This record gives sequence, structure tokens and C-alpha cells, in this order.
Amino acid sequence: MDLFLPQTIEEAVGLLAQHEGARCISGGATLVAMMNAGLVEPSALISLRQIPGLAGISREPDGSVRIGAMTRHVDTATSKVFKDGQCVVPRAAVRIANRVVRNMGTMGGSISFADPAADYLAALTAAGAAIEIASPRGKRTLPVSGFVTDWYTTALASDEIVTSISVPAMPAGSIGHYEKLARVSGDFAIVSIAIIARFESDICSFLRVAVGGCGPAPLRLREAEVVLEGSRLNASLIGEAGRMLVAISDPVDDVRASGEYRRKVLPRLLAKALIQIQQTQHAEVA
Amino acid sequence: MNVVGESIPRLDAREKVSGRAQYIADLYRPGMLHGAILGSPHAHARIKSYDARAAKQLPGVVSVLTGADLKGGKFGPFIKDETVLAIGKVRYVGEPVCIVAAENERTARRAALMIEVEYEELPAVLTPAEAMAESAPHVHEENESYFRVHETSCGGNLAWSTSFSEGDVDRAWSECDLIVEGEFETQAQAHVAIEPCGALAEIDAAGRVTLWSANQSVFRVQANVCEALCLSMSKLRCMTPRVGGGFGNKMEMHVQAMTAALAIDSGRPVKLILTREEDFEIVRHRHPYRIRAKSGAKRDGTLVAREVNIIVDCGAYGDDSPGVMGFSLLMARGPYRIPNVRATGQLYYTNKIRFGAFRGFGNPQVSFATEIQIDEIAEKIGMDALDLRLKNATRKGDSWVGGGPVHSDGFASCLKAVRESAEWDRRSTLVASPGTRRSLGLACSSHISGLLSTGAIIRVLEDGTVVLNTGAVDIGQGSDTVLSQICADSLQIPIDRVIIGSPDTDSSPYNWGTTASRVTYMVGRAIVTAAAEVEKKLKAHAADIFECSPEDLTLRPGGKIGIVGIPDRELSFQDLSLRAHWAVGGPVMGSASLMYDQKTIDPKRTVAKGVPFPQIGVFSFSAIICDVEIDEATGKTTVREAWSACDVGKAINPGSVEGQIQGGFVQGLGFALCEEVVWEGAKIANPSLMDYKVPTTLDASPKIHALLVEDPEPDGPFGAKGIGEIPICAVAPAIVNGIAGACGCRLRQLPATPERVLFAMLGESHAS
Amino acid sequence: MSRPRLVELCVNGTQRAVRASSEQTLLEVLRDELHLTGPKRGCNQGVCGACTVLIDDQPVRSCLSLAVLTENRPITTVEGLARGKSLTALQQSIIDCGAVQCGFCTGGLLMVAHALLADNPHPTSDEVRAALSGNLCRCSGYVKIVEAVCRANEGSLP
Repeated sequence: MDLFLPQTIEEAVGLLAQHEGARCISGGATLVAMMNAGLVEPSALISLRQIPGLAGISREPDGSVRIGAMTRHVDTATSKVFKDGQCVVPRAAVRIANRVVRNMGTMGGSISFADPAADYLAALTAAGAAIEIASPRGKRTLPVSGFVTDWYTTALASDEIVTSISVPAMPAGSIGHYEKLARVSGDFAIVSIAIIARFESDICSFLRVAVGGCGPAPLRLREAEVVLEGSRLNASLIGEAGRMLVAISDPVDDVRASGEYRRKVLPRLLAKALIQIQQTQHAEVA
Repeated sequence: MNVVGESIPRLDAREKVSGRAQYIADLYRPGMLHGAILGSPHAHARIKSYDARAAKQLPGVVSVLTGADLKGGKFGPFIKDETVLAIGKVRYVGEPVCIVAAENERTARRAALMIEVEYEELPAVLTPAEAMAESAPHVHEENESYFRVHETSCGGNLAWSTSFSEGDVDRAWSECDLIVEGEFETQAQAHVAIEPCGALAEIDAAGRVTLWSANQSVFRVQANVCEALCLSMSKLRCMTPRVGGGFGNKMEMHVQAMTAALAIDSGRPVKLILTREEDFEIVRHRHPYRIRAKSGAKRDGTLVAREVNIIVDCGAYGDDSPGVMGFSLLMARGPYRIPNVRATGQLYYTNKIRFGAFRGFGNPQVSFATEIQIDEIAEKIGMDALDLRLKNATRKGDSWVGGGPVHSDGFASCLKAVRESAEWDRRSTLVASPGTRRSLGLACSSHISGLLSTGAIIRVLEDGTVVLNTGAVDIGQGSDTVLSQICADSLQIPIDRVIIGSPDTDSSPYNWGTTASRVTYMVGRAIVTAAAEVEKKLKAHAADIFECSPEDLTLRPGGKIGIVGIPDRELSFQDLSLRAHWAVGGPVMGSASLMYDQKTIDPKRTVAKGVPFPQIGVFSFSAIICDVEIDEATGKTTVREAWSACDVGKAINPGSVEGQIQGGFVQGLGFALCEEVVWEGAKIANPSLMDYKVPTTLDASPKIHALLVEDPEPDGPFGAKGIGEIPICAVAPAIVNGIAGACGCRLRQLPATPERVLFAMLGESHAS
Repeated sequence: MSRPRLVELCVNGTQRAVRASSEQTLLEVLRDELHLTGPKRGCNQGVCGACTVLIDDQPVRSCLSLAVLTENRPITTVEGLARGKSLTALQQSIIDCGAVQCGFCTGGLLMVAHALLADNPHPTSDEVRAALSGNLCRCSGYVKIVEAVCRANEGSLP
């Protein structure tokens, strides 16, 4: 198996286009595990580790945060660059697996694998992030909502790689929250909920909600957010928003939980998370 | 200088923290090959043909063997129903069909996949319910003709049947003011020792095989491999490296015979280490159980009658199943004075992986049911659940089911210890944080230490240091250290003058195995006896030299024999041993040979059929209280804190006892809340650590209080008995009783996943 | 398997040249080529933690690292923790607190604990549990391990 260490993105995508059956390796956390299990046998590996500028987190003048695809989860989790509701991203990062795996895995690698129970995509969906992609044909940007097209499948062509992810600025005073229900610490999520919210007095003035683990791609429904935006939270409104999300969900039965349980717990987890955010914001104000 | 009762550091700790401990995968022999296994893709199928030509031609491949190439000796601890490789037909997905040895592991695995095996699929039975049906296909056509170590009834897919009955259960129900009945279900649990199974075999010029393996008994390895390969025991030497945990997975055969067969065929050393996935798919798991339990009591809380029936899924081969089932039935009464008991069990072959020994050996499953019923009775009569248990508690001088004597009041002491430490009586003042429910949960169990035979040899070297040879494999529980402590104190010598030899069938006395919580108790007793013989012989030498009577002599600390009352008349072990070696008598050795001989069943008291262990062991007791918290939104349950009191007789090494209690608790926590081997049709759906989850540091209770109760066991070494298994037995019911206390729902199925708890709380039935 | 090439690994302070093919993990190469069997293969999926080593002083899974991609980066295995015959305070604490049973998980968790203590010499038990959540132990129930790591630097000034 050939192993390439391209020095530029152009070289990397060129190699991808050239070698059928080649895979990119970023952190290796997922890919090498699959190779060890005999699930994939790449004809060639293209390591992205020597390409400058692919790792790192920076703030753009417009307040958006750019995360290089090769940025490790540990760096995302501990970064001070994220502000306000953008913090949903580091909050999701810190829940991935455990510290040791977070020293290895990368955001680009994680989202490209598109595991429906992984953590980033729900947070990025709530934030309305954009995915920057490179190919031999140049660059393109895709909103995260269009990134996952089916179970474990992305819109990436076989000669495309993710180069960075851009998280837009969020309203001042908004909070990012990531709620993850799993069997044990570090497991993939049964259901996860990423929320960006701002409360002014008791009114929810801004809300973005995305749900992971209930379908091939995270669920996000503006109509459900609208039910709660502009209102005081109450059980009935939260229940309605939860029902709307359940209605668009497509959860499977797997060893972690049944689809029935996921549908049952989704609105309850949403309520739990919203109440917690509200309490946090109260505490901060106090 | 006494070390018994001291938490001295493990003798092997230094090598383990330095990374220098050698486990089976760390051993390398010159010219060594690697082994790999081809498993069956089918649950039940006839093998029609093999084509290994392509595999044999792959560069680097040295041996390829199929079932047709081996002698087909039948082995099994209770039923001789298993062969090394499938012969004629396969009985579970993953069953080893062919084996390969090659220059490296990747080549061996690739070659194994190149072997073409033609099968004719047969209908499979995947549950005991399917297996017991009239027209069910037979997993073992020759079931009834298999050799069984004990008598039982069998036929069709019924592999074994056991029953105990004492008192008069049928009449006793009418004496009860209250009767509770229920059906309970427990799941298959995987051992997940962090070290997967493996072996290394090497054949010498004389045709004798030396075999190292991850094991819990070098003697069981020897017996199993020799039976399987039709070898005389003189042709096989079994040794042990460090072992990375067993919990029952490594007590009986895994890959040893396969590895030996490849070594014999190739003429070269062969190492075969299972992947984690193979360890999940082809070795063994804890038996899933269906339990029907019925308990009756008087209004004042006196327990009157207990009836239990269990249906046990055997899997494709017997393995330790008859023992596990029989033991559950023996434990089904629990540590209570219930005069009328009937416990029956049926074991059914199915086309799944064999189920076998796993810490607790059937007791965790049956205690799950019976301890929940005790709480149900307490609730119904309005009595405190702890007081009810205390009222009926088994005491010193009582008999167990079958009539075996109970030598300890440890049970009452365990209840008292957890009552105080956990502040049981103040539990109504516990505060649940917002969004949670919280309660204490209590459960108890008994267990045994004993079974079968063992020996010990102590040899005094010329300089007075002492070599201890036993067949006890330290699988991480700390027996090397504990047995050394017993030896050292028995001879009153410092522990650094005791060398414990590694178990080796060539030079160790027989020990059945590291199982049944028996090593401290059984091997310890043998050591005490052997040490007494050494003491006697040393005294005989000293008596000669001092020209006195041996009765005038005493053992003095530091390895000396002296005349009573005359401090400066003493001789060192070295003095005496040199005399023995070079002048008079020959090297000083002491030995002991021991069988556990207390009968399990007194036929005048108990009607018993199909009993798989005529002589079982001495009884221990435990009580566990858990502080259980449920997240109301999700049903997810955590145990904030736990108190586990165990009656150990005497803690030879208290730190090690605590470690066993804490480790057993967390393994029980996994059994209770999150661990389950899941089948999708005939195939295991989660044979990996990605999908089968055990508790991490963040899931285990941060505070697990190990409370040691010491009520000396009369014939235990320094009063000690076992601790290996009892810490797991009552964990699941303690947690599930806590869940009931917290949210009013009594689950009867394990694991108590968030899903099961949430649906129970919502009062809704659901599909899973 | 593809043709092995010579790879320069820097292990436990020593430069070693080994033959490795591109598919081989660091775990395989450390064990089979360099005979450093301290890191263990417990699952080969990065879950159990028994394979954990330090690369650039950070704990990583050697079973998920391709050996050829670790060239010239300082690697420390459990064998490299002690200086000659004297154990580190952490290793001694693990022994003294009775935190070793079967020992198979010990090497991997020592690497993570070592890195934690380098940053945070007197961690709280919560901090220790969070740091070690990726190291499975089936024997101990974790209680004594956490205690041992918390107490490792007890003798030295905070």
C-alpha cells in the first residue's frame, strides 16, 4: 500500500484523483481502526499531515471561526477562539470518545466519515456552518445542511477533501450547549442535541436546535425553533417543538437503543437541555 | 514481621508497572509461526468438503489443518461433547473449522480466509424455547451417548437437568400469608478481560509439546488438550505466563489445542492470539437465564417457601454449563432460613457460542430474581427490607440447602456493616437533585469457596529460603502474593525468603484451577499443612543437634528453631537445611494433598437429581447497598456510591480483598446497567469494544466502600476463605432494588438500560 | 502486505531504525520489531487504551498510529518511564496503593497519568477520572487507580 505525504492541497487532491481506492488519512483514529478490523483495504493512503495551514483555529474579521480540517479534537475542545453560541462546537468536541482519542482525531476526518452518532455534525448544523472543500477542479463551499446525503455518506466526490469548516458569528450573549445521551462515557451518542440559544429576561430570543443520532444527518427544523423563539419556555411549547423534530426523525434500532426509545427521549432531552441553558444564563446574569 | 493481615504490595507489581511483565502475546520463540482460525459462517450446517489448496500455496504458510486432519478426541468439563475443530458439522457462527500457521499473523489470517469450505445449511435453534420444541432440530444428534461426569437426564436438545427439593414446598404455600411470583430474564455478559485469549505451543525433538497460554489452570489446559488431541499427559507440559484477567473465560479450553495441533503438524513453535472480535465470538460468555421464582412469607416477615425454575441457554457445547446451572439452584434459596425449597433447572443446547464460567457462576443471575422478590415481600408487608433479611438470616450452625454446614455469622455482620456505613436508616432523608430520582437499594448473597482438589509442596533450599510450589495461577487477583504471605507466616520467615514457583504441570502439584473463589482457601490450607510438615522435619534436625525432644522446640520469627525458654539456643533454617542437604536425611520438604470433602447433599434431608458437584465448599456472605440515581428525562441510572460488605473469614491481604470487592462491584454494575451480548439472528451483533461497552472511570461509582467482615472460617488458612466472586453476585439486584425505590418501578430484566427504565417509569410497554 | 522500508523511530530516547510497511501500526512495530511489549493489543480499535504511548509527550493510541507516520517524533512507552532502576513517583504510588491487579491495562494508563501529572501534579479525583476515561480496567473498579494517581506527588510540594 503506497503512502503519500503531499505538501500541498493541490498535490493531495491530485493524488486522490489519480489513485483509485486511495483514502485520505487525517488523524487516523477511524481509518486505522477500520483497517485493523479488515473493513477497508486502501490501495494507497494520502496523509494530510504535512500540508501547512490545514490545522488551526482562527477568528475572521466578520466574527466567524475557521477550523482547519486537520485540527485535532483536543485543540477544538480547548480553544478560546469560539465566542457566544459558537461554543457549541468545543462543547461537542470535548464529548468525543476520551482524551487520548481526542489527541488524534480531526474535525475533517470525523465529518467526512459522517457517522450519524458522532458529535460534530449536530453542533455544526445548529451553528449553520459551512464546509470548504477542495478538488482538482478548485474549491467550493457547501452548507453543512447539504453535506450528509445518506447513511455514512457525504456529498464529497471521490477526489474531494474537506479543507476547513467555518462557523458563523452568533448573537452576543448566546449560549452553546451540547447534550449527549450515551450508554457509557465516550460512547457514540444514542441521541444528542446541539443548541444555540439566547434568553432575554425569560424570553428565548434566539434558538437553533440540531439533533444527532436520529437519522443519517442531524435533524434541524426552523419551524420547531420558531415555536420557541420569542416566547417564554413552557412544557407545552417545548413538547410541540420536540414532536415536530420527532416527526422528521428516522432513528434506527441498534445495539445502543431502539428507534422507539430515541423518538421517546428526543423531546425529553430537548427540554432538559433548554432548562439547563436557561438556568445557566440566569446564573451568569446573577 | 507477620504479613498475614497486611496489605503488602503485590510481588509482581513492579514488573507490571515497568512494562516488563510477560503475558502470552509477549512471548517469542525462535522460528515461531503465527496461527489463525477460519470460523463457520453458519449457525448450523454439515461440512461437505474443504479446499485448502490456495491457502497452502500462499508464500509463508506452513500448516493448514481441518477437522478431518485431527483425531477428534471429545472433551468438556461435564459433558464430553466438543472437539478441537468442528467435525462433520458446525454448531455456531464462528465455530473454528480450520486453522493455519504461517510466518506472520497477517499471512496466516489471509490464508485462513482463502480456505474454501462447502456447507449444507441446517435449520438452527437460537433460543431454549426453540430448542425444547417437539420438532426442533438437534444440535447434538449423539447427545444421549455423550459421556457425562455425573448422572442426569438428557435427550433431544436437553443437555442437563438438575433439581433440589427439601421440606414440602407444595404444602408450604398454604402456610404463607403472602406469595410473590415473577419471571426474570438476564442477559449474556462478556468477560472482557483486557487481555484476549492466546497460546504458544512448541514441540521438542522427542515429540513432547510445551504449551504456554493465558489460562486459569495449567492442569485443565493439560487435560483438555490431551483429551482433544488424544495425547498422553506425559506428552504435554503446560506452563503459564502472566495472565491479563480471566473472570472465567480462561478456565476451560480456548485456543490451546488448536495451537498445539499446529505446532505438532509444523514442527515449529506456533503462537495464536485472538483478536478482540474473536474473543467475543468464539470463546464463551455468561449464560443468559430465564428464571421463574416464587417466594412465600408470613405476615410477620418469616420466609416460608421458595420455588425457582431456571431455563438455561447452554450454547452449542456444554462447557461448564451443568455446573453453573446446578450452582444457581443451590444458591436459589439465598442466605435465609427458608425451610421449604424447590429449585429446578433445564439446560438446552442452542446454535450459539458456548456459555460458560463467569465470576459468580450462575449466582448473579439467580440472585437477581430472588433478591428482588425479598424486597417485594418487604414492601407488601410494610417491613424494612434490611430487617426482613436480618430476621431470616442464615447464622452459624445453620445448614445450607442440602445440609452443608454454615460456619459463620458473617451474614448478620455484613448487614449490620452496610446498614451503618450507608446510613440505611436515614435513607428517607436522601435528597435527589432536580431532574433526578434517588434511593438506596439493598441486596445480599451467599457464595462458596472450595471444590475439588489441590496440593502444595514447600522445599527448603540450602540457605534456608523456601520454594513454594503450587498449581495456583495468579490471574491478577493476587494469589501469588497471598499464598506467599500464608507460607511466610506459617514458617515465621520474612516474605522475601519465600519464592513462589510458576505453575507448571511438570513440577507443580495438581490444582483444579483459579475459579470457585477457592485459591486462598484450598491452596492456602494445603500450604499450612505442608508448612507444618516442614516445621516438623526442621525440628527433628534441631532435636538431633540439641539432643532434646522435638516437643521442647519452637519456631522463632526470622526462620529459626529454638528451645523453648532458652533464647540463645537456636538454629537457623540455613543451619538445619545445610545439615539436611549434606549430612543427614536429605533435603527438607513438606507437602500436602487435599480434596474438599464436605458433601453438598445429605440425601436424608434433600432430594437432589443431576447434581454436578457432590462436594462443594464453605459458605461466604455479602450485603450491598447502592445509592442509585435516575435521570428522569432519559431513564439513565448511575450509582453515586456503594457499600459492599463481604464475609471473608480473614483478609490475608486486605488491600487485595478491597480490590476484588471494588472490581467485582464495577463488573456487576456493567451487568446491571449497560453490558449485553446481542444477537442479530444467529450472529453476535456487537463483538467489539466499540459496540459492547464496559464501565469507564466516569461510569463506575467514584466511591465504593469495601467493608471487610472477618469471622474466621474454622479450617481456612488463618481463618480465611474466598473473595473472588461474591462481590459481583448481589450488585444487580441492589441496583434494581434501588431503581424500584427511586421511581417505583420493579424491573425484572437486565440490563436496566435507560430505555427499560424510562419506559417502566412512563408505565408504557414497548417492543424491546 | 507492501514492502517494508527502513523507518527511523525515536523511542524512549533512543534512535532506532526498523523495518516497517505502510500498513503496520506503531503498536505492531514496537512489539514485534523492537520487542517493547509494554504496550498491549487489547482491542486494536483504540477503545481499551492498553496500547497507549506518548508521542511528543501526548498520549495517543499506538494501535491507531501508522508506524511510518511517527518517524522522528519522540515516542515514550511504559518501558521508558523509569530512569534505570528507579521507578517514577507515579509508578511507586500505583504499587503502594494496590492499584495493580492483572496489570494488562497498567502500562497504557501509566502513560496517560504521567502526561496528566506533568501538567497538573496534584489533580483532584474528578480530574483523574476525566483523564483516564479512555483506559479500561476490568479488574480494579478504578478506585485504587484514581487514588494512586491523586497521591503520586504527595511527597513533593504543591
